[in-house]
Amino acid sequence: MKTFIVLVVIAIIVGILWTRTGPTPDEAQPTPTSTQAAPPDALTIRIAYGSEKQAWLEAATTQFNARKVQVAGKAIYVQTVAKGSGELVEDVLAGREQAHLISPASAAFITLANAQSRAATGKDLVSKSESVVLSPVVIAMWQPMAEALGWPQTRLGWADILTLAKDPQGWASKGQPQWGRFRFGHTHPEFSNSGLQTLLAEAYAGAGKRTGLTVEDVQQPAVVAFVTGIERAVVHYGSSTGFFAKRMTAGGPGYLSAAVLYENLVIEANTATPKPSFPMVAIYPKEGTFWSDHPTGIVERPWVGANERLACEAYVRFLLERPQQESALRFGFRPAAVDVAVGAPIDSAHGVDAKEPSTTLETPPAEVISAAMTMWRSAKKPAHVALVLDISGSMEEDGKIAAARDGAAEFIGLLADGDRLSLMTFNSTPQWLGQNQLLTAIRTPGQAQMRSLIAGGKTALYDAVSAAVAAMKADPDQDSIKAVIVLSDGADTTSSTSLEQVLTAIDPGPESGGAIRVFTIAYGKDAAGDVLKRISETTQAKAYKGSTGDIRLVFRDIATFF
Amino acid sequence: MPDDTAPKATFLGKVVILLILAGCGFLAWKLLFAKPQPAAPTAPTTSTTPGLPAPRSGAAVRISVAYGTEKDRWMKWAVEEFAKVEPNTQVDLLGKGSLEGAQALLAGEQLNIWAPASSLYSANFTADWQVKFSKAPFARSETLALTPMVFVWWTERFQALKQPPQSFRDVAKLVAEPTGWAGLAGKPEWGFLKFGHAHPNQSNSGLMALVLMTHDYHQARTLGMAQVMDAGFQTWLTTFEKGVAGLSGSTGTQMKEMVLKGPSAFDGLCVYESVAIDYLRNAQGRWGDLHITYPSPNAWSDNPAYLIDAPWSSTEQRAAAGRFIDFLLSPTSQRKALEHGFRPGDPAVPIKEPGSPFIELAKYGLRIDLPQVVETPSGEVISNLLAGWQRAVGR
Repeated sequence: MKTFIVLVVIAIIVGILWTRTGPTPDEAQPTPTSTQAAPPDALTIRIAYGSEKQAWLEAATTQFNARKVQVAGKAIYVQTVAKGSGELVEDVLAGREQAHLISPASAAFITLANAQSRAATGKDLVSKSESVVLSPVVIAMWQPMAEALGWPQTRLGWADILTLAKDPQGWASKGQPQWGRFRFGHTHPEFSNSGLQTLLAEAYAGAGKRTGLTVEDVQQPAVVAFVTGIERAVVHYGSSTGFFAKRMTAGGPGYLSAAVLYENLVIEANTATPKPSFPMVAIYPKEGTFWSDHPTGIVERPWVGANERLACEAYVRFLLERPQQESALRFGFRPAAVDVAVGAPIDSAHGVDAKEPSTTLETPPAEVISAAMTMWRSAKKPAHVALVLDISGSMEEDGKIAAARDGAAEFIGLLADGDRLSLMTFNSTPQWLGQNQLLTAIRTPGQAQMRSLIAGGKTALYDAVSAAVAAMKADPDQDSIKAVIVLSDGADTTSSTSLEQVLTAIDPGPESGGAIRVFTIAYGKDAAGDVLKRISETTQAKAYKGSTGDIRLVFRDIATFF
Repeated sequence: MPDDTAPKATFLGKVVILLILAGCGFLAWKLLFAKPQPAAPTAPTTSTTPGLPAPRSGAAVRISVAYGTEKDRWMKWAVEEFAKVEPNTQVDLLGKGSLEGAQALLAGEQLNIWAPASSLYSANFTADWQVKFSKAPFARSETLALTPMVFVWWTERFQALKQPPQSFRDVAKLVAEPTGWAGLAGKPEWGFLKFGHAHPNQSNSGLMALVLMTHDYHQARTLGMAQVMDAGFQTWLTTFEKGVAGLSGSTGTQMKEMVLKGPSAFDGLCVYESVAIDYLRNAQGRWGDLHITYPSPNAWSDNPAYLIDAPWSSTEQRAAAGRFIDFLLSPTSQRKALEHGFRPGDPAVPIKEPGSPFIELAKYGLRIDLPQVVETPSGEVISNLLAGWQRAVGR
């Protein structure tokens, strides 16, 4: 009975992690390369893998395919598809993705996938796996900021992050008032491997434990207060650890003081062109951390025959050969082949320490993870989101308005009870449908409003963005994530405000961490994608392209930021 | 303890029970009377292509070998070298735990050689095989190499301990320290002391660890039911196993994880001596030196190789499998086994000569002479020990 209960809990967690996953579910953008055409008569196998190792794996696979290794008289050809770890496992379990090999970011996904597979079929999805690369989860921080906290002489951890996050003086408390408030980032625990590991690490630290975390622990007021205290410093969440790394590198210390990243992303940031404004360093929390160990295994499903199995084994052997492992090291990963020594760039010159982490945290049982997620929903930083939708006449074309209605309504459903929502539509002029209302009050009527939108008129895009941002600036609340989400299917045709005036108005200046972020959706083929991208980039938010086919997934991905 | 709460033998326990006696007896006989092994086949005349050992379409004979992953590096070397002298024979290696290999054979997986970590499982396997095929399973059996159990530690952490552990009872005290490394060595940043051993129901080395900790707790050369059922021992076992950081189905996999993830994953493990030796140099390229100590009492694993007398084996496959076993027993291969940390099954291959890891690596704690070697527990004792362990650990 106990086993059954655990399986049920696992299934619930897997469901949460996977079914809420959007089009860019876990790490970075999904850039599937599975469309590569296999040569005629090739023995083709597919690997679905966590996208954080994309650069290394794609290069290695190109080399492997060039070798034309033979199985049963046919040359092996490997097709690759980069996805978030949760999504790739879900797709293979559902048979939507008939990959022969999978390689998610951490072994937890294999464990969860096998639990679900056993419950459904009595068999594992992957019976054996081995790491192809490794990287620990770290707190990435700008070096001058880490030094202001006493690093490297003083070991830092979650308690230090909490102290800084709660201090209203921010960096001034460390003698650095010019750095403003402490601004922190990590991905959404329900969508991302590193986000979930961050939440568990915070809970462990709050409970003063390194092992044996219980449901009672995560529900303790002191633990909830610990997690809430850190989360208050979060700039926003998101589905992609890689996105955080790129934004932190581009935005500098004014945007994020620190973020939870994989160690290899710290190295990547320090070797980026152009160089970031300061070196970034990896803090290995003194309370312990987790490994991202990239387990790779053959899928136990009927579409994997004996020859495909042999081909998979040959490919994995290739990945673990010295040249490919040395290449992984150059990309900032710790090699999984034990005979390849760890050296540069795993060193202090690149902001990391090969002798860390000193200790790890125990992955808690499924029911504890579930309780932690429940706790997080109340502890997370609340958001005030303004949803700004284009209802100009062109939205009637090709069914755009109908799909946008559904996506917007679903988006409202994904926000937390403690979040606040403002709703605006625009055609020839902007019009508020509601402002600054708690989700508990506006969720149902707001969804009804979205589902009853009708299109007509011109496109006052710039006026709408200006009005929305101005209203958000007028909100005195300084403790929420503030964002505007703009969906538009065409160029501005009638605004009194110019684009330059809009860009000036939304520019957050040097301390961009507290900016009002404007997420944009260029909807349909006639959307002003370049303009919308400029608007989102000015606020260091994210620009999306959407169509009637995927607009709901776009909205779901945006929801991961809150 | 009331009878109705007494541990009962599991299926797996039954699988293991009868064989430990036979295995140890067989091992003792091998140690005392091992015969010289055949010479190596002719010198290599061709070379394999480096890189991918993809299946060779031109191979005339193909054989499958199930082997314990503790012999992984040696076996992979042997297959490559064997291919040089027998290019028309293809050897497919299948890494399997000792019990897993037995189950695969009984399920009809067409293996030609089974090379588990020890002969503990062979008697029970033989009985099951005879029920199925009405004849003995092995056309030939040989001892490839010997190895005892060791504790392997990260040197920095071993040296930081105020009292270096020499036994399972010592280790149990360390993992039970409520403040972890803060209390053990004034190093709170190291967390709790993380010690691991393989799963007793999945791995020969895990079973060995369980037997040795039981002997150690009772300070007895022989074990009976009274010791296994002793309430004090059951309590001690439960407490100890709660502090164990990880259980793996494979000794080699666990050792590899220790090297890859360093002391963040494991401060120490109980593994085969050969496995520890094999990873010593790799560890230096990662996290630093390893230090080896020998739990007292100790026990041998004999690494048998069985040529399977199976209906699916052709005459050509049997002959090829026999030649592969000959190759494994050749002085060349036995010296390679020594390089990988095994004590050769061929007594003609000395281990006290320059180049031997037992000489070269002595500074890491390696030693040739073992402490006390225990006597074999009865099948009933092993069965109840495994059942008690399952109750204690709940997994």
